[in-house]
Amino acid sequence: MTLQTSRRALLGAGAAVALLAMAPAAQAQDIKFGLVAALSGQSARAGEAITRGLTVAVEEINAKGGILGGRKIVLLRRDDESNPSKGLIAARELIQREKVAALFGGLDTPVSLAIVPLANSEKVPFMGTWAAGTPITKNGANPNFVFRVSAVDEIVDQAIVKYSVRHYSAKNPGMILVNNPWGESNEQGLKAALTASNMKYAGIEKFEGNELDVVPQLSRLKASGADVLYLVGNVGPSAQVVKSLDKMAWKVPVVSHWGPAGGRFTELAGPSAANVHFVQTYSFFGDLSPKGKQVLDMLMKKYPDYKGPGDITPAVGVANAYDSAQLVALAIQAAGSTDGDKVREGFYKIESYDGLIKKFAKPFTPQNHDAVTADDYVWTQFINDQIIPIKH
Amino acid sequence: MKPLALLGAATLFAAAAALCFVADGYQLFVIATVGLTAVVGLGLNVLLGLAGQVSLGHVGFYAIGAYTVAILQTKLGVSFWLALPVAAILSAIVGTILAIPSLRVRGPYLAMITIAFGFIIEHGAVEWRALTGGATGILNIPDPGLFGLKLDDKPLALVIVGVTAIATFLYWVFARSAWGAAMRAARDAETASESLGLNLVAIRTAAFTLSAAAAGIAGAFSVPLTNFVAPSAFPFFQSILFLLAVIIGGAGTVLGPLIGAVVVVLLPEYLAFLAEYRLLFFGGLLLVVLWVAPEGIVGAVARHLRRADERPPRPGVDIERFLHERADGGNLEIRGLSVAFGGVRAAHDITLMARPGQVTSIIGPNGAGKTTVLNLLCGFYRPDAGSIRLADIDLTGKPSYEIARAGIARTYQTTQLFGQMPVLDNLLIALRRGNLGLSISPLRAGGDDGETARLAESLLGFVGYRGAVERLAGSLPHVDKRLVEIARALATGPRVLVLDEPAAGLGAGDKTTLAALLRKIADTGVAVVLVEHDMGLVMGISDHVVVLDAGARIAAGTAAEVRVNPAVRKAYLGEDMKLAAAPRAPSGPRAPVLQTGDLVAGYGAEPVLKGITVSVGAGEMVAVLGANGAGKSTLMKALSGLRRPVQGTITLEGQDIATLPAHRIVGHGLILVPEGRQVFPELSVLDNIRLGAFSRSDGDIEQDVEAALQRFPRLRERISSRAGLLSGGEQQMLAVARGLMARPKILLLDEPSLGLAPQLVNDLFGAFARLRDEGTTILLVDQMAGLALALADRGYVIESGRTVHEGTPEEIRNNPALEQAYLGSAA
Amino acid sequence: MLITAAIVTGLGLGSMYGLLALGFYITYSVSSTVNFSQGSSMMLGAVLAYAFVVTWGWYPPLGILTALVLCGVYGLAVERFAVRPFVRRDSNAWLMATVAVGILVDNIVLFTFGKEPRRFPSPLADMPVSIADVGVYPLQLVIPVVGLALAAALHVLSRRTKYGKALLAVVQNPDAARLMGINVSGAIAASFAISTIFAGIAGILIAPLFNVNSDMGTLFGIKAFAVAILGGITSAWGVMLAGLVFGIVEALVTVLFGSVYTQIVMFALIIVALALMPNGLLGRAGVKKV
Repeated sequence: MTLQTSRRALLGAGAAVALLAMAPAAQAQDIKFGLVAALSGQSARAGEAITRGLTVAVEEINAKGGILGGRKIVLLRRDDESNPSKGLIAARELIQREKVAALFGGLDTPVSLAIVPLANSEKVPFMGTWAAGTPITKNGANPNFVFRVSAVDEIVDQAIVKYSVRHYSAKNPGMILVNNPWGESNEQGLKAALTASNMKYAGIEKFEGNELDVVPQLSRLKASGADVLYLVGNVGPSAQVVKSLDKMAWKVPVVSHWGPAGGRFTELAGPSAANVHFVQTYSFFGDLSPKGKQVLDMLMKKYPDYKGPGDITPAVGVANAYDSAQLVALAIQAAGSTDGDKVREGFYKIESYDGLIKKFAKPFTPQNHDAVTADDYVWTQFINDQIIPIKH
Repeated sequence: MKPLALLGAATLFAAAAALCFVADGYQLFVIATVGLTAVVGLGLNVLLGLAGQVSLGHVGFYAIGAYTVAILQTKLGVSFWLALPVAAILSAIVGTILAIPSLRVRGPYLAMITIAFGFIIEHGAVEWRALTGGATGILNIPDPGLFGLKLDDKPLALVIVGVTAIATFLYWVFARSAWGAAMRAARDAETASESLGLNLVAIRTAAFTLSAAAAGIAGAFSVPLTNFVAPSAFPFFQSILFLLAVIIGGAGTVLGPLIGAVVVVLLPEYLAFLAEYRLLFFGGLLLVVLWVAPEGIVGAVARHLRRADERPPRPGVDIERFLHERADGGNLEIRGLSVAFGGVRAAHDITLMARPGQVTSIIGPNGAGKTTVLNLLCGFYRPDAGSIRLADIDLTGKPSYEIARAGIARTYQTTQLFGQMPVLDNLLIALRRGNLGLSISPLRAGGDDGETARLAESLLGFVGYRGAVERLAGSLPHVDKRLVEIARALATGPRVLVLDEPAAGLGAGDKTTLAALLRKIADTGVAVVLVEHDMGLVMGISDHVVVLDAGARIAAGTAAEVRVNPAVRKAYLGEDMKLAAAPRAPSGPRAPVLQTGDLVAGYGAEPVLKGITVSVGAGEMVAVLGANGAGKSTLMKALSGLRRPVQGTITLEGQDIATLPAHRIVGHGLILVPEGRQVFPELSVLDNIRLGAFSRSDGDIEQDVEAALQRFPRLRERISSRAGLLSGGEQQMLAVARGLMARPKILLLDEPSLGLAPQLVNDLFGAFARLRDEGTTILLVDQMAGLALALADRGYVIESGRTVHEGTPEEIRNNPALEQAYLGSAA
Repeated sequence: MLITAAIVTGLGLGSMYGLLALGFYITYSVSSTVNFSQGSSMMLGAVLAYAFVVTWGWYPPLGILTALVLCGVYGLAVERFAVRPFVRRDSNAWLMATVAVGILVDNIVLFTFGKEPRRFPSPLADMPVSIADVGVYPLQLVIPVVGLALAAALHVLSRRTKYGKALLAVVQNPDAARLMGINVSGAIAASFAISTIFAGIAGILIAPLFNVNSDMGTLFGIKAFAVAILGGITSAWGVMLAGLVFGIVEALVTVLFGSVYTQIVMFALIIVALALMPNGLLGRAGVKKV
């Protein structure tokens, strides 16, 4: 048994050494940006969009000579598999091992929420690029190291309710929501917005992200007299809802969160796709600003599978990520250091930034860590393969 | 695991603790995660490694533990240290509840129940929003304190390392306790463990409960580690990872879950830089690890390090007194016992009495219902009518473990030892008589020299077992398995010992020893109930014989009375054997069809065949004779390709077939009619016959089917019934007919007379004689040496895997040494 | 109207579950093992067919046929590399190994096919038709027909043809089957191929109603396993029946109680059903032999 013991001890020692040996391997003076997002599985496409937006921004900054007097930015990415525990461990690795100067978040609100306390206690700026859960930025911490360049569910939901009332005179809306944290967050947001407008609702139905047929859920909403549908779901599930409506021959107005913009909605949902009116923060279609043209150009050069604006999906992911990277770089520049506290202050010092989404003016204040506001939402619909703003 | 190895484990944990002092926050988090995964793994190991049950929903228990702590801490302001035991207890209770549906199912059914459980917990956490915070979960859960110290990164990692060490130690204690042994026993042989008085329901429920509690505790500690709970942190995939940790580390080993947790947690961390490609590589590496060490890393290492302990049993305790002291019961009385399966009366109105100190035998032709009566007696079947009483206790319809505890012990037709446990432990668990107690005292209390160990070893000596006490029971030779099984039954201190065909597969010498042993057991005052085919054995030792036929009792009395009972003679013994065909005159040398050269087969150091050389000429009928266990059936399997690899040569018409698999050999024209018929029970008789021609593609198949039906007209009457419904004799005819359909160049017949009534045997051998006379080349193995020699042109005698004699039937019959070896009691 | 809609939807869904579950049944009855990543096999069928028919513009029947052939080859590979090495060593690690294969395949497809869901165009899934006031795509009516036809074909082929009977012989007694000249390891490999081909057919049938992407099979695979178990994994009819029942009950639960509790109710029903019928709906309990 002695031999066995020593073998086991050896194994243990090996594991210990291996644990200690997980050392970082980048140049000391580089400034590291870390991304924790779902890069595989269901949300892989979103993770890729964020990656590309960040990459293009970082390359642009580096090509111009970097920040803080010539230091280059390196992007480190980790897959959280949409699991907050994995996200937390990845964030710890990036912060505590890799000493990233800033952390970027991904699609999933629960993952971001799990990271928020760590970012605040470790004093590392955490920039949201997608996850729209309200408490991510309004997390009650002081000082608060969490910033965001993305929509906020609460505000989107108010916009959805307002739009449905103004354009469809909605009195009894029904909600059809994907059964995940995003759906739940909007369920709360929509309920709150409806209460604020003194409205009731026909019903709330959930559906799974990879459900074949949503007819049973929609039938319940129809039976309870829904006059408008509020839709929250990614592009695939949203398409399933539209196809199920087709099957039921139910022509009901659909007002949606930005999910349909995440892919080839018209291809997936068929001609009725145009009936869905959804909110957007950015689209590469139409007349682009000079900044828009420049970024589109860079993206198409860098990624050959982007052959036109229609391929850049989800556009919001790319655009949010691009602007967030630029804003973080500006904050570091303003701070003159990568020290977390100083960078946090740096965010408040950004006066203006001519970005992709808009011309940001004083995007962050100690009271407001969300750079995208209600005024930035545009209502759009798919006409053929293009996202077109709705003109009323 | 010996204390020294325990020391090794302690070193490991000390190293991990030391590591905590130098590690950064991330490493501390990783160490703690490894620890928690290991704790879940240890719990899962109780279920998988000890009880042999799989769970694909353990993340559910982990989540229950986490949510309990989170809810109690945030909603009720309860301290973590109070919430922790609540979490453990709640998980344990849910585990107990889940055990209820899980007890009735096994294999993939159990996997599905646990998968469903995991999903219910995950979805439940999403929907029970008021309590769980819905999909967002509960955030910012404060770190607990410990002695005024805030339990954040470093102290927490240390505490978790400590918890893991305690869990490992507890697993070690539990695995070697009587409960642990009982779980292993239930895993290895379910029915046998019930008939030792083990309550399977209690044992499996305990496994689920403990396993759930461990997962719950780990889940509870995950809360201070991550400071949040959310449903998406408990996905189905995590259950798979937990199970993976146990399998990769080595199920059933103490350190397996720990090593597995290190792999399952660290590997993804090493691959983190791969970003989106991490899962891809993880999947690939998993496959590689599984290929390299399918029994787990620790299992693979331990296999290389396992030392053989060849110590034989040491006697010392007076077993006859041990048995006598307990065997004070009254009579076993069975009255009017009946049971039917799907309308078939398997046993009808059976009445018998077994008295202490006597051997009561139940005999009857195959299918008479003997084993059915034993199964009714031992509670495996519920009788439709009738009663079973032992002394003044009514045992009718009681569960089998209660019947066992009342003093009825049992052995089986095919031995049911706890194969993955040492011989000694097989007895030690039986000595508990189902009384495991609430403590987790070790099974081997008092060590190797303890009182119970001495008793167990003495029992082994008493039955005549001379092998090593530490050998795994599953690896024993056949005879030893029989002996150990009897010793195990005796270890329960039975008032009634029930044996189902204990002599099956034993040689003549072993049978004599067995007969003496059974007599000796009866003489201590135990009531021995024996079901046995070997009439010599039965008639020699029985005080009372009960004869069954077609599920009914047809006679009872002393051996002498039964032997002359005309009903018995008609039903069981049949007419005197008269072969329809006479032996034929010897003819000159013929061209060999089949030849073997020094054939060696079997695994490990002790091959079953140690050099067999036989030759069969065209048109010849050759008999292979030998005692049971001599290697006759192994030879047939080796020739037909069922046993591979073999050394030496097998030549069929000049072509070497020693390396060919069975299905290819068929194409070359060597056809085996296997021992025990082996018809396809769910297929019709006609389909069975047609399948015999599977390797043929000519157009004469239907013609040959017709020929087969003419040869065996009884098959024509049953042509469309399922083969499983045929009688033994009809099945044997079917098997021969099926074999002939391949138009064999040589037909191998393995024990065709086994278990058949004499009249049927006679018919069958008549058919063989006709085949022989038609010129079919036949190699015959049969226990009924007289019959085989009556037909054969030549014969071989094999002994202990070697051909020892060859000659004409006359020469073999006249050789006294061979008669001694083989014909001794069988004739 | 609600109930009718639920039943029509449930029938279509249920026959998909049944079809996928038949794959579990086939390998389990022949070899007592299953491919735990059956959902990935289904996805593979859809993705391959998409690549051939849509991306490369092959003649659709040819593309679909090629996809199914490749599915079969994939099944052979799963058996050869993730099942056989473990069964041979008497280890149950095949369970984990097939899961690992599923992870591999899902991720390879993710990086080759792409991360975006795509639509598989089909003339049968363009315009819904109305039946008893319920709109369905014609394909939804085709699916149960194909599902039942395949189950029936499986039943008939296994009882009427030489090779079918050989497969049954392997199920009942592998050693005796060898003695008939039947290649048992070949039969087991074949069962895996048939199993993945069935999954592939399910994937291709469902693709036009659904979106083609690398994780389209995950939830389906788990539900199909539940269906196979509920049906009593040893009975082809039981499995198909369980599929239909599961699909209809699922749709009814959604309609009657609301979608929030569908998953919880369905999984709870599975546990209850198995507790009451430990061998599934039509699975037979063998008489305990002692």
